[in-house]
Amino acid sequence: MTPAAAEATTPSTARSALRAIRRAGPMLLSGGTVLALVVLASLFVPLLVEIDPLGIDVAQKLLPPSAEHWLGTDEFGREVLDRLIIGAHISLRVAFAATLLTAVLGIALGALSGQYRLADSIIGRFSDALLVFPGFVLAIMILAALGPSELNVVLAVVVLYVPRVIRTVRASIIEFRSADFVQAARAVGVGDMRLLVVHILPKSFGPVMVQLTFGFAWAILVEAGLSFLGLGPPPPSPSWGNMISAAREFIRTAPWIMIAPGVMITITVLSLNLIGDGLRDLVDPRLQGKVGP
Amino acid sequence: MLLYTLRRILEFVPTIFIALTLIFVITRLVPGSPITALIGNQSVDAAQIDAITKQLGLDRPILEQYLEWLPRVVTGDFGQSLFFSAPVAEVILDRFPITFALTFMALLVTVAVGIPLGILSAMRRGGILDYFGNVLSSLGMALPPFWLGFMLMLVFAVSLQWVPASGYRPMEFGFWSWLSRLVLPVLALSVSQIGLVVRMTRSTMIEVLGMEYVAMARTKGLRERTVILRHALRNAMVQIVTVIGLVFALGLGGSVIIENVFALPGLGELITTAAVRRDYPTLEGGIFYLTLVALVINLMVDLAYAWFNPRIRYA
Repeated sequence: MTPAAAEATTPSTARSALRAIRRAGPMLLSGGTVLALVVLASLFVPLLVEIDPLGIDVAQKLLPPSAEHWLGTDEFGREVLDRLIIGAHISLRVAFAATLLTAVLGIALGALSGQYRLADSIIGRFSDALLVFPGFVLAIMILAALGPSELNVVLAVVVLYVPRVIRTVRASIIEFRSADFVQAARAVGVGDMRLLVVHILPKSFGPVMVQLTFGFAWAILVEAGLSFLGLGPPPPSPSWGNMISAAREFIRTAPWIMIAPGVMITITVLSLNLIGDGLRDLVDPRLQGKVGP
Repeated sequence: MLLYTLRRILEFVPTIFIALTLIFVITRLVPGSPITALIGNQSVDAAQIDAITKQLGLDRPILEQYLEWLPRVVTGDFGQSLFFSAPVAEVILDRFPITFALTFMALLVTVAVGIPLGILSAMRRGGILDYFGNVLSSLGMALPPFWLGFMLMLVFAVSLQWVPASGYRPMEFGFWSWLSRLVLPVLALSVSQIGLVVRMTRSTMIEVLGMEYVAMARTKGLRERTVILRHALRNAMVQIVTVIGLVFALGLGGSVIIENVFALPGLGELITTAAVRRDYPTLEGGIFYLTLVALVINLMVDLAYAWFNPRIRYA
């Protein structure tokens, strides 16, 4: 890929750091609040109110939003709101698992390729190859082969995103490998492994966190897209993408079934992207306002 | 430049080779036989299963299959589609123009809106336009494109009835009839791309505006307009051009799901239905062609970048 927005000028002064914090604060706060609301609602509402995302009641089907049915009902008379709340579990669970696994694999493999020449050329080749497929066609292919399930969606997202994390970790290891503090540590006899884990890897923590935040948001979009295509967690599992997919037949008669899950996806992704933007401004004020994922 | 071009083209070969190998390996990852996945719960007699197994060459060792498959697909022959009674290559070539039209028009819209908005945002940092551009791009990147497609359909096709909701009609039936069915898909695809382009253009422009030669041009007393258009934009364009290539490749990926939403019989729709029906030859071929086009665009972008920026050639 081309270094489109790679190089940045360096006005890295105390003032610009202060400006970054002032800029990042509101973003982190608003993004964090919204995300916390979504997560807390999905966790605690089922404990407080009786929720039945799979309860079929044909007499109550396709009812528009009203006082009894806040967000209306779907074609089987299931509450859209109930399904939305449980859908949050599935969508967030898949995205979170994928992000966690991406982090572990990405850091491990990135460290390997930053440290060893041989590992670098092998891992580098593979991650380059994974990155050549446009969009998420690679994920479509993986799910077509493994069959639609929650776990396979997680795997596909990991395969798509891990090369990016590997690159970030590798870059920061190479950047700091010959830094003075590393040379000094080596001179006093610190071993390779300890050098890597204690001195070098923590330096990549910031950029990796930023990247994983964007990755999380992106995973939600990919899960929704795959579910929509019928390649995600199979129905009746109410993942947000599944809800949109099922609502497609009723777009003319009952549009509320489709509007609600899309709004939830947008809100969640937006809040995660805001957090990512904020974190990035904090971690590296030079990159202020640069593109995310 | 010639040497650089040759080197890039040579690098292109192993990339294609690895992409093909990955496609082969992944589509054969299927637990059990792909045949069972293919027929699902239907009752099919053994002879038929045998025939399909033979047709796919699945009765032979995997390495042998690969060695037979690779030279064949390099020449563009992905075999016979399991669902259309036609060679995969033919089905793909039939559908590619639709995908190309969709992606290309989305690119035009993206460039026409995204680049000016990005430049203006950079010029008036912190102004109303910058704020507006920021909100628009953040929102654009958070909207799931397929859902946005349905929302556009709801507003412009179902409520206002300005354009048909979905489907495709070739240009022979009239230009408007063709275009009206592409308007909504193009919009749905453009929105997230516009977000990306606004952000990239803005940050590139800000970077360039901080350069010494811009300050110099201002000190010379040149008009702001001249400074922006003649000095800053010219240099920013080098990077912006690469963004355009990136967006085109991105659009090819995005078209996959948008075509599904609007029932456009393009390459993306072919890939997704092949994935759901497990039509492996079609899936392999579709993904390969889509990837190939994206790679070629990428190559052209890299070459254009080197052309504009001689430092790259000698790196």
